[in-house]
Amino acid sequence: MDFSLFPQLIVYSLITGSLYALVSAGLSLNYGLLRVLNFAHGHMMMVGAYAFYFFSQEQGFSLFNSSIGTVGIAAVLATFTLLIFIRPFTKFSYQLTLVTTLALGTILESLVSLFFGVDVKSLMGYSGESIEFGSVYITPIQIGIILSAVVVLGAVAYLVHATAVGRMIRAVRESPSAAESLGISERKVTGGVFLLATVLACFAGVMVGVETNLQPTMGNAYTMKAFAAMILGGLGNVWGTVFGAYLLGFIENFSIGLDFWGVSLPTGYKDAFAFVIILLVLLVRPQGLFGSKARGV
Amino acid sequence: MQPVYTYEYEIHLAILIVLYFILVQSFNLTFGLGRLFNLAHVASYAIGAYATALLSTSLGWGTYACVSSSMVSGALLAFLIGAISARLQHDYFAIGSMAFSAVVTAILVNWKSVTGGVLGVAGIPRPTVFGHELTENLEFLKFEGALCLIVMTFLWLLFRNRFARALRAQSEHEAAAQSLGCDPGAARLVAFVVASACAGLAGSLYAYYFNYIDPSSFSLTEMVFIMTVAVVGKPGSFWGACAATCFLVLLPEGLRQAEFSPDVLGPMRQLCYAVIMFVVVVINREKLFPIQRSV
Repeated sequence: MDFSLFPQLIVYSLITGSLYALVSAGLSLNYGLLRVLNFAHGHMMMVGAYAFYFFSQEQGFSLFNSSIGTVGIAAVLATFTLLIFIRPFTKFSYQLTLVTTLALGTILESLVSLFFGVDVKSLMGYSGESIEFGSVYITPIQIGIILSAVVVLGAVAYLVHATAVGRMIRAVRESPSAAESLGISERKVTGGVFLLATVLACFAGVMVGVETNLQPTMGNAYTMKAFAAMILGGLGNVWGTVFGAYLLGFIENFSIGLDFWGVSLPTGYKDAFAFVIILLVLLVRPQGLFGSKARGV
Repeated sequence: MQPVYTYEYEIHLAILIVLYFILVQSFNLTFGLGRLFNLAHVASYAIGAYATALLSTSLGWGTYACVSSSMVSGALLAFLIGAISARLQHDYFAIGSMAFSAVVTAILVNWKSVTGGVLGVAGIPRPTVFGHELTENLEFLKFEGALCLIVMTFLWLLFRNRFARALRAQSEHEAAAQSLGCDPGAARLVAFVVASACAGLAGSLYAYYFNYIDPSSFSLTEMVFIMTVAVVGKPGSFWGACAATCFLVLLPEGLRQAEFSPDVLGPMRQLCYAVIMFVVVVINREKLFPIQRSV
């Protein structure tokens, strides 16, 4: 086994893991509160990336103005999704929201394909020259991705665990009816969290767009990655999910980056790992790595 | 320009409709009657198509052998889906089956030496029945129609017997169904095996008709389409699914009249289906998937 690649692989894993963590944290927050599996979460991320592309590349707005615009789009998208595609159905059957979010994902993907075309787009001018640290190469934007994930997820942790709003969120997650009886509006809390999760997803989308490129079909791939991270950590368990995201990043990069005593996996299988992990974890330990009890299994 | 309707074109549409009859009705068995959110149905379809494509091109197997091996490989895949459903329920099963389907797609894309990767398999011959090769589309339609008739009769009988009632019962209240002497696990497994074998048959016919397959035909988009048809036709309704198949397969032909460019046509078609599915769900949200009964 060749160990000289290790530092570079660790850096790649941290980058991938940070991106997955930003996408999946919101998905997991939502699931914890709404008990809705949002099959369109990755598509919302894709819309965020395209919104930023539209403002910064096609309209030529500055970085700050584009970011404001993207957050605006995220807010509109979150409101629209929650009020039209999720809220009216939650009281009937879990299957309804599975169908409606699948429909929403398809609608978003086809709308973006119609407006921007199906070809690959890229967010230019943010990547920068790569810097060399010993044997490790890293671009400024990649450092930015890792740091911003730490800062953003740290802020979410602070919000959830150290503020009054966080106490409300945790109360609703524990028991919606008990929280309501104590004067907490379940609608407001779940709505606020859904908004936060969508903004996180859109932020992750912009980062993915800068680091790789944009395509309307990227949404579904990231939905699956986020599901994989969430299942690893336990459904609805936010910090387990963040850990799962980094773990997934490491598994993907190390499995194809190393040759195990002469046997190396073709890079094409990289994406299949997320799916194999979903299956294995669901079958062997459905409550995730950190979950204590399984629901509906 | 006024589009010219030729006889050939109508036969092509009929072939598609018959193909989707098999594919959708078998999905309706698991999704509609059993309320099993099986997103791996499209994987069985893919396996069937690849079985026929590979056996007929590289090994030169005959039609009967290819069609039956497609059905058998679909049925074998169902045991894996059944194993997943034995451990997982509800939304967990939806994710599990979706992941399973994605693993199948990843293998089809990456195992290049066998499946040809994203380029797919080309040069699949037309089926030969009673020593006669069905090169004409009309002949193919007759062959396909005969197979479809057998499958649909079988499914129609299945939709109204003891087995269907057991399947319906396990979806509404598993423990109550068990106490009345039906085995929910066995009912689900049989449903998966039958549905998957039918999907395998549909895949086989797809490969024979188009003479070329690649992994993109068996994506999540296709799964969403199948689900749209099942939802529009009212899940669990035999004739509803048939009517919805005719309606939704013919619908994009209306779009084609409007002369969009091919780049726009694909997303437009997807958009239409997704919006139709959503609207149907909104209209029927109270009775589409009944709330689980409590006794």
